[in-house]
Amino acid sequence: MTWLKLVEGYMPMQMISELACSILVFALINWSLNRAGMGIPKFWAGVGVWIYIQLYLKYRIYPPIPFSVRAIYGTVSACGIFMWVSGSEDAWQEFKRPVINVMDGISGFHKSMRTVALIVIPLALGGFAYNSFLPSFEEPIELRTVHPAPPATTKVHGKTFVLQVVENPYRVNNEGKYDQAYTDARIVEQAMGRLMKDVNDPNYNPWDPNAEGYTKYVREGGEIFFQNCHFCHGDNLNGRGLWAYAFNPIPANFTDAGTIAQLQETFVFWRVSKGGIGLPGEGFPWASVMPPWEQHLTVDEIWKVVMFEYWHTGYYPRTWD
Amino acid sequence: MGRLTSGRAGKKFLAVTGLFAMGAMLLLPIFVALPALAGGGAPAAGGPPPDVVAAQEAEGAEGEEAKVEIGRDVYYKTEGPVVGAPAPKTQDTAEFYPRYNFESRVLLWVANQQHLYYGSFVLAVPIFCMCIEFAGLVSKDKEMAKKYDQLAYDFIKISLTAYSLTAILGGILIFTFLTLYPAFFGYLSSIFRPVMHIYALMFVAESGTLYIYYYGWDKMKEGMLKWLHASMSVVLNVIGTVLMFLANSWIGFMMSPAGVDEQGRYLGNIWHVLHTALWNPLNVHRILGNMAFGGGVVAAYAAYRFLSAKNDEERAHYDWMGYIAMALGVAFLIPLPFAGYWLMREVYAYRQQMGITLMGGLLAWLFIIQATMIGILFLTTNYYLWQALGRMTGGERFQRYIKYFVFILVVGLLVFITPHTIVMTPAELKAMGGQQHPVLGNYGVMSAKNGGINAIIMTTIASFIWYQRGNRVPAVKWAKFGNIFLITFFVVAHLNNIWVACYGYFIPANVRIGLSVPQVAGTLSCLFIGSALNLAMLKQSRELGPIRWGQIAPRSQYALIMLATAFTWMMGLMGYIRSSVRLFWHVNEIMRDNSPWAYTHTIGFGANVISFNVLFFWITIMFVFWLGALGAKKAPVPATQPVPGTAPQPATGH
Repeated sequence: MTWLKLVEGYMPMQMISELACSILVFALINWSLNRAGMGIPKFWAGVGVWIYIQLYLKYRIYPPIPFSVRAIYGTVSACGIFMWVSGSEDAWQEFKRPVINVMDGISGFHKSMRTVALIVIPLALGGFAYNSFLPSFEEPIELRTVHPAPPATTKVHGKTFVLQVVENPYRVNNEGKYDQAYTDARIVEQAMGRLMKDVNDPNYNPWDPNAEGYTKYVREGGEIFFQNCHFCHGDNLNGRGLWAYAFNPIPANFTDAGTIAQLQETFVFWRVSKGGIGLPGEGFPWASVMPPWEQHLTVDEIWKVVMFEYWHTGYYPRTWD
Repeated sequence: MGRLTSGRAGKKFLAVTGLFAMGAMLLLPIFVALPALAGGGAPAAGGPPPDVVAAQEAEGAEGEEAKVEIGRDVYYKTEGPVVGAPAPKTQDTAEFYPRYNFESRVLLWVANQQHLYYGSFVLAVPIFCMCIEFAGLVSKDKEMAKKYDQLAYDFIKISLTAYSLTAILGGILIFTFLTLYPAFFGYLSSIFRPVMHIYALMFVAESGTLYIYYYGWDKMKEGMLKWLHASMSVVLNVIGTVLMFLANSWIGFMMSPAGVDEQGRYLGNIWHVLHTALWNPLNVHRILGNMAFGGGVVAAYAAYRFLSAKNDEERAHYDWMGYIAMALGVAFLIPLPFAGYWLMREVYAYRQQMGITLMGGLLAWLFIIQATMIGILFLTTNYYLWQALGRMTGGERFQRYIKYFVFILVVGLLVFITPHTIVMTPAELKAMGGQQHPVLGNYGVMSAKNGGINAIIMTTIASFIWYQRGNRVPAVKWAKFGNIFLITFFVVAHLNNIWVACYGYFIPANVRIGLSVPQVAGTLSCLFIGSALNLAMLKQSRELGPIRWGQIAPRSQYALIMLATAFTWMMGLMGYIRSSVRLFWHVNEIMRDNSPWAYTHTIGFGANVISFNVLFFWITIMFVFWLGALGAKKAPVPATQPVPGTAPQPATGH
C-alpha cells in the first residue's frame, strides 16, 4: 500500500488508528446493509473481520511481523471476535445458526457442505500433521535475550565498578558536578530529524569551538564513536552501518525506544566494555560480534562514547531517583 | 450490675469478656516477641546460636572488645554485633543436598506451590466472610440479611476443609525442606528463629479462632452475640494477615536480604531481617492476589454447582453466589496490576540486574505469558458481565455496544502482550532488519503497556457500571446531566491514558515512571467517581424488571471456571518467576545454591510444572468441594420457593 505510508515516529498509533477506522467502516457497512434488509450473517461477519485483521498484519505492516507475534495477535483477535458474537444470547444463536444448519443438513446445499467439511477438515489436519513432521532446513527459532541482566559489578582496566551506583564522570554541569538534569536539557530534540536545540550555542552544539564541559565531552565521545563504532551502528546510530548487514542480527539500533532508552547508563558501559564475548550465560545464544571495547578504549573513552550515544539519539539514560 | 449478670445480659457480658480474653491470648505471642522487635541492634531473643556462643567462649582470655565483632548490614548499611553464623558454603554433596532419584527442586516447587494455593485460599475466604457477614448485619432487608449470612457460612464451610489441607501441606513443605535442603533451611531457621516461633503460635491462634468462628455460627446468630461473631472474623483476619506477612518476610529475605553482613551473619536486629526492600510490596501484592484468587476459586465452585444443579432454586442460588464471588475477586484484581507495578519498581530500585532479568532478560517471556493471563482475566470478567446482562430485563440496551468494548479490550491487550524480545527465526530477523520492529517495538516498552492495561481496566469498570444499570433506569432529576458527565469522564480518561502513553516516549525514563501516576489516577477516578456517581443516580431508579437469577447462559459459568483457572495458573507462574529471579542463589548474593539444579528451567518445562500444580490443586479442591456438598445435603434448599424473577433463597439451617 504505497499511497498510504507508515510515517516514522507515528507508526504504532497509525496501526491502531487504521485498524479502528477499518472496524468502524465494517460496522457502518453492516449497519447500512441491515437497514436495507441485507445484513451479513454474524458468522460470516466474524470470519470476515478475523481474516481482514490477519491480512492487514501480514501485508500492510512493513517490515514483516514475525510469525510468533502474528500468531499471538491472531489468537487474541479470534478471542475478541468470539466475545463479540457470543456477547448476547441472540447474537450467539445467530452466529451458530449456519454451523448448525450445515451439521443438521437442513437442505441439499447444507448436506453437500457437510460432506465437503467431513472430507476437507480431516485432510487439512492430516496435511498439517504431515507438514509438521517433514524435515526442515530452516534455522531454528532463537529465543534470544536482547538485554541480559548485567552483573552487580564489573571490572574494567583493573577497576571495579558497582553498576547499581556508579555514575558517568563526564555527565557534569558547568561546576563539574554530576548533574543529569543539566545534561538532559542539552541533548538533541527527540522528534524527527534529531536536531540540535541551538546550533549557535556552545551549550548545545558540541562542535562549537567554544563548547566546554558536558558538550565538549560529547564531542570527544562522538569522535570516538565515528572512529570505532559507526561502521556497524551507523552514522545515525540506527544500526545500519557500512558493515551492518554482514551480521545477523544486525547491530543494535540506538534510536529505537527499546534499546538504550530502556537502560541505565551503567548497563551500556558494561555492555560496551565487555562486548559480545562478555555476555553472561543467560544471554545465550549470544549472537553478538561486538568486540570487548575495554581492549581498545580507556574507561574515560567508554564513558564519553556512551554519553554521546544518549546525546545523539535524544534519549535519557534510565534512572531510579 | 445485677442486670448484667443475670439472664441474657449476663451471657452477653460473659461473651464479651471471653472474646477479649481470647483476643489477648491470641496476641500474646506478639507481646512475647516485642523485646526482639524493639531490640534495634540488640541480639535476637534467645541470644546467639550455640555455635557462636561456643566460639565466643573459646576465645577465652581475649579482651571484651575482641569478643564482640561488629558487622555491616548489607542493605541498611548500619553496624551491629555479629550474633549469627555465616551462611553455609554448600557443595554438591549429599551432606548439603540429600536427594532421591528425582530433581529436588521440582519436589520442593510442587510442595511449596500447593501450600501456597491453599494458604492463599484460606486467608482470602475469611476476608470475604467478614465482608459478607457484615453486609448481612447492616442490611435492613431481613431476607437479604439471611441470604448474606448463609452465603458467608457457605464460604467458611468450604475453607474449613481447605484449612486442614493447608496445615498438612505446610507440614509436607517443612519436611521437604528439612530432608532435601537441610543446610539452607538450617540457615534460614537460624536467622528467623524468633519469627518462626511466633508464626507457629499465630497458626495455633488462627486455628482456634477459625473453629470457634465456624462452630459458633448457630450459637451466636442473634443480637449482640452476632456482632461478637462478626468481630471474631476481624480477629481471624488480622491473625491471618500477620501470618502471611511473616511468611512473606522469608521470601523477601531470600530475594533482598537485610539484617545480615556480607557473609550472611545475623546482626541481631530482627526488624531489619523482616523489613527488607521487597517485604512491603510483596505484602500488598500478595494480599490483593490472594483475594482475587480466593474469589476466583469460590466463583468456580459456584459455577460447578450451577452447572450440576438439579432444580431452578439451586441454579438461582449458585448463580448469585458466583456473581458475588466474582465481584469480590475482581474488586481486588483491579488494583493488582498497580501493586505489581510497585513491586517491580522496588525490584529495579533494589537491583537493576534483578529487574532486567525479570522484565527485559531471561524471564521476560514469562512476563509476556503473565500479561496474557492478566488479559484473559479481564476479558473473561467483561464477558461474564455481558452474559449477566442477559438475565435482566433491559440488559439488551447495552449489549448492542459490546463490539466497541471488545475493540478497546483487544487493542489494549494486543499492546499489553506484545513482546519486547520477539521470538523469530533468523530468516525473520533478517527480514525485519534488526531485533526491534519499528512499529511493534514501541508496544514492547512500559509506556505503551501501561496505556494498554489501563484501557482494559477502565473498560472493565464501564462494564460493571453497565451491569449495575442492567435492569434499572436512573430517575433522579439530574439523570441526563449525570449520564453526559459519566460518558465524558470515561472518554477524557481514555484520551488522557492514550496521550500519556504516547508522551512517555519523549521524556526521560524516570519522568515516564512518574507519568503512570496520572494514568492510574484516571483509572481509579473512573472506578471511584464513576461507580459512586452511578450508584447515586440509581438511588432513585425505575426498575425495568427483576433479575432472573439462574437464567444466565451456561457460557458465563464456563467463563467463571476459566477465570479461576487463569488465576491459579498465573499465581503458579508468578511464584515461579519470583523464585527464579534469584538465579543461582538461595539467598541473593549471600548464600549460593550449589545444587545440581541451580539453573533456570526452559520455559516449556516451567510451564509444564505450573500446569501440573494447577491440575493437582484443582483435583484436590474438587475433593474439598465434594466434602462441602456432602454437608450441604443435610440442608436441602426448600423446593417450594418461587424461581424466576425472585432472588435465591438460602437454606435455613446449618
